[in-house]
Amino acid sequence: MTTTRWARRLTVLGSTIAATAMLATGIVTATAGAATRTADTATGTLNIADEWGFAWPCQFNPFNANDFYFSFGPVYEELAYVDSINRGAVTPWLATAWTWSNGNKTLTFTIRKGVTWSDGQPFSAADVVFTFNLLKKDPALDLNADWSVLSSVVATGTDQVAFNFKAPAVSYFYYIADQTPIVPEHIWSTVKNPATFQDPHPIGTGGYVLSACNGANQRFTANPHYWQPGLPKIETVNFPSYLSNNAANQDLTSGVDQWGSQFIPNINKVYISKDPQYYHYWFAPVYSVALWPNLTNPILSDLAVRQAIAYGINRPLVGKIGEYGEEPGANQTDVVTPTFSSWYDSSLAAKYGNAYAYNPSKAVSILEADGYKKGSNGIFAKNGKQLSFTIINNAGFSDWVSAVNVIQSELKAVGIQVTPDNLSGSTYSTDVSDGKFQLAYQWDTGGPTPYYELRQLLYSANTAPVGSPASSNYERYSSKSTDALLGDYVATTSSAVQHQVVDQLEQVMLSEVPVIPVTEQVDWYQYDTQHIAGWVTASNPYAQPGQYVTPDWGVVLLHLYYK
Amino acid sequence: MRFVVRRLGFFAVTVWAAISLNFMIPRLMPGNPAQVLVAEHPHLNPQALHSLLALLGGTTHQSLPSQYATYWAHVATFNFGISLTTSFGKSVDAMVYQALPWTLGLVGITTLLAFIFGTLIGLISAWRRGTWLDSALPPIFVVTSAFPYFWMALLSIYIFSVTLGWFPSEHPYNIFTDSPDLNWHYVGDVLDHAVLPAFTILITAIGGWILTMRNNVITVLSDDYVRMARAKGLKPWRIMWHYAGKNAILPNLTGFAMSLGFIVSGAILVEYVFDYPGVGSLLLQSVNDLDYPLMQALFLLITMAVLVSVLAADVLTAVLDPRTREQS
Repeated sequence: MTTTRWARRLTVLGSTIAATAMLATGIVTATAGAATRTADTATGTLNIADEWGFAWPCQFNPFNANDFYFSFGPVYEELAYVDSINRGAVTPWLATAWTWSNGNKTLTFTIRKGVTWSDGQPFSAADVVFTFNLLKKDPALDLNADWSVLSSVVATGTDQVAFNFKAPAVSYFYYIADQTPIVPEHIWSTVKNPATFQDPHPIGTGGYVLSACNGANQRFTANPHYWQPGLPKIETVNFPSYLSNNAANQDLTSGVDQWGSQFIPNINKVYISKDPQYYHYWFAPVYSVALWPNLTNPILSDLAVRQAIAYGINRPLVGKIGEYGEEPGANQTDVVTPTFSSWYDSSLAAKYGNAYAYNPSKAVSILEADGYKKGSNGIFAKNGKQLSFTIINNAGFSDWVSAVNVIQSELKAVGIQVTPDNLSGSTYSTDVSDGKFQLAYQWDTGGPTPYYELRQLLYSANTAPVGSPASSNYERYSSKSTDALLGDYVATTSSAVQHQVVDQLEQVMLSEVPVIPVTEQVDWYQYDTQHIAGWVTASNPYAQPGQYVTPDWGVVLLHLYYK
Repeated sequence: MRFVVRRLGFFAVTVWAAISLNFMIPRLMPGNPAQVLVAEHPHLNPQALHSLLALLGGTTHQSLPSQYATYWAHVATFNFGISLTTSFGKSVDAMVYQALPWTLGLVGITTLLAFIFGTLIGLISAWRRGTWLDSALPPIFVVTSAFPYFWMALLSIYIFSVTLGWFPSEHPYNIFTDSPDLNWHYVGDVLDHAVLPAFTILITAIGGWILTMRNNVITVLSDDYVRMARAKGLKPWRIMWHYAGKNAILPNLTGFAMSLGFIVSGAILVEYVFDYPGVGSLLLQSVNDLDYPLMQALFLLITMAVLVSVLAADVLTAVLDPRTREQS
C-alpha cells in the first residue's frame, strides 16, 4: 500500500465550527425514505470523511496502485480476511477453508459455494485461478509481489485451488488470502490491457455495488444479491472527494459525515467537544515511524553511537509535541503496542533499559565509555570527528518536521548534533531507498503480526548497495543469522515457534539497534454513534478502522447498521 | 495591418519558445517519472515496475530530437498522455476537461464582475471626487484586496457558513443529494455553492481595478479636451462617459484582457479552501504528486491562454488607441 496518501497535513481551520447536526439528520431521513428493497432490509445513508486531495478519477481497477483503495473491500473481496489489529485473526471469506501441505510449500483453499458476482454470474474456483494467473501474466498488476514466491496456482477438484510456493512461505498467506482481490473471469478475460483498464463499472462479489461516480462523489449501494445473509445493513454509502483537510474535518464536525479517517489537530476540542455524547475516536497503532541510521556510515556503524541516540530520544514527548499527542511513542523492539502486546517480550526489554526508554545520562555514559569527549561546543567527538549528522525528512509532512525538531533538541542536550534536511517528496523517497542519507525519518508498513514489519527492516534481500534502491531495508542491515531467523518463521505454522522467532528478532533490535523506532503510526478513525452502530472499538477491533485500509473498510461497512 | 502581422509573428515565436520550454524544463529537472513511480509503488518488484514503465512508453529509448518531434505531434493533437500519480492511468485531457468548466465558470465570471464593478466604482468615485462615495468605497476595497485570498475565504466561511448558515462552505454542489444533471435544481445548487468563493475572489480582486480606473480618470479630467467639453456646456454624464471614461479605460482594458489569460490557472487557494474541483486544485495536486504529464499539460494551457490574451490586448489597444499604431 502506498504511504503518501494518508499523510495528514496540518492545514487546519483554526476557528471553531458550530455543530449543524440538523443538516445531517435531514440528509439521512431524506435518503432513508427512498430505500425500498425486497430482499432484505438495508436502510439509511453513511457519509465518509477522508481527504484524498483530488477529484475522483472514477477508476476502480483493484490492481491499480492508486485506485484499488476505492473498490477492494466493498466491491472486490478477498479469499480470507486477516484482522491485523486483532492478533491476525482470520475469517473465512470467499474461501471457506485452507490447509498448508508439502512442507508449507503448498496452500490449498476450498472456495465458497453459492456466491454470485453482482451481475448475477456465479463465482467459482476458476475465477480465483484466473485472477492469480492474470497477475503472473502481467506483473504490473501484482502489487504485493505474490509471484516473487509463487510458482504456480492451479485448480484441484471442483472447488479447490492449490497455491504452490518456491519455498516455505507461511507469512505470504496474508498477501495471497487477504491482500489480493478476486476479479471475475468472464469480465477480465476480455480486457485487452488489464494494467491500464479503468474498470469504471466494477463487478465484484462484495456487499456494495458502485451506483454513481463523478469527480465529487463515489456512491455505493447495497448489493441485493450479497452472499452473506442479511448484509449489508446500510443502503447507501457516500464517499465524497475532499480537496482539503479542513473541509473534511468540517463535515465531520458538523455531523454531515459519520465515519472519519481524518487527522484532526487538537481533536478533543475541535471534534469531540462538539457532541461528546455521540462523537468518538480511536487511534489504533499499526506500525512504527523510525529514525533510520545509515549503517554504511563509519560513525553510525558504531553500535555505541546508535545506542546513545536510542537512549537520547524521549519518544512519548516526540509524539506529544510532533503529533499533537495523537501518536504514542514507539519502543526499540519495534513491536507496536498495545496492538501487538502479546508479542512484546517485556523481560527481554527490561534488560535493555525498558527497550531504551528515555535516559539521557545513560546516553552520555555510553558515549564516554566508547571514548567520546565533549568539545567546547557541547558536542561529543572522537579522533577529531564530531557526532554531527543530517536527518533527511519529508517536507510535505509537517507533523514529521516538528517531530524531528523535537528529536534535534533532545539529542543536542545529550551532545549529539543533528540537522534536519527537509526534502520534497520524491527526492526524499529516492534518497531514502538509495541510501543517500546519514539519518532518515521514515516509516515502513505493517502486517497482522510484528514479523512483517521486522522482516521489512532486517531481511538482507530487502536491501541494496548504496546508490541502488532498497525495497524496505533502507539502513542497509545484513546478517546471515537474522536472515535464518526470518526464514524459520515462514517455515512453520506453529504460533509458539513464531513467537520464539519474533522474540529473537526483538533481541536483534535491542542488541544491535539497526533502526530506532520513535513513534507509532496510528489508523486515523472518528465515528458518530448518533444513528449508526456497529463501529470498531478498542474492545471490539474486528477490522482496521481507517477508511484507506483495504479490504478492511469493506468489513467495517458490513458491520454498521442504523439503530 | 502591418502592426497586426508584426504582432502575429512575435506571437508565433513566443508560442514556439513556450512550447519548447515546456518540453525542456521537465527533462532538465532532477528526478524523473520512473522515480516517482517507484516512490508511489513501494511494494512493486523491479520486474513489475519495468512492465509498468514499458506500458507508459518509458523504456523506449528515443533520441532527444525525435522525442521533441513526437512531443510536437502530441501537442498539435492535444494528446498529453496519462496521469502518473494523481489518478494513475487516467487521460490528462479528460482530467483537464473535467476541471476547466468549474474554473471558467467561477473565476471567469468573477473576473468579469470585478472588472465591471471596479471600473464603474473607479469612474464614479473619480468623477465625484471628495464626496462620501469617493472617501468610502475605494479605501474599503483597497483594504479588502490587501487580504490574502485564503484568509478572506476562511473568514467568509466562518461568518456566512458556520455562524449564519446562509451559504454552503464547500464543494461545487451538494454532492450527497445532487447528481450533476442539467436541471434547474442542480443549476440553483451550483449557484448557491458558488456564492462564497465568488464573493471572496470579487472582494479581493476589485480594489485593483478601482484604483487604476480612479487614477486614470483623475488624470484625464485635467486634460484640455475635458475642459473644452465643459466649456462647450456638455451634460456632465456625457463628459463622464464619453470623454473621461472612454479614454481612461484603456489601461484597464489591457489589464482585463491579460487577466482573462490567468483565468484558466484558477484561483488555487480559493479552490483549495472551498473544495472546488477546478484547474487550481488540479494544478496544486499535480505539483504535490509530481505528476509530470498533468503539470506539463496545465502549464502549457496557462501559458497559451496568457499568450493569446496578451495578443488580444495588444490588438485591442491598437484598435482603440491610434497612438500605439504609430511608428516611433
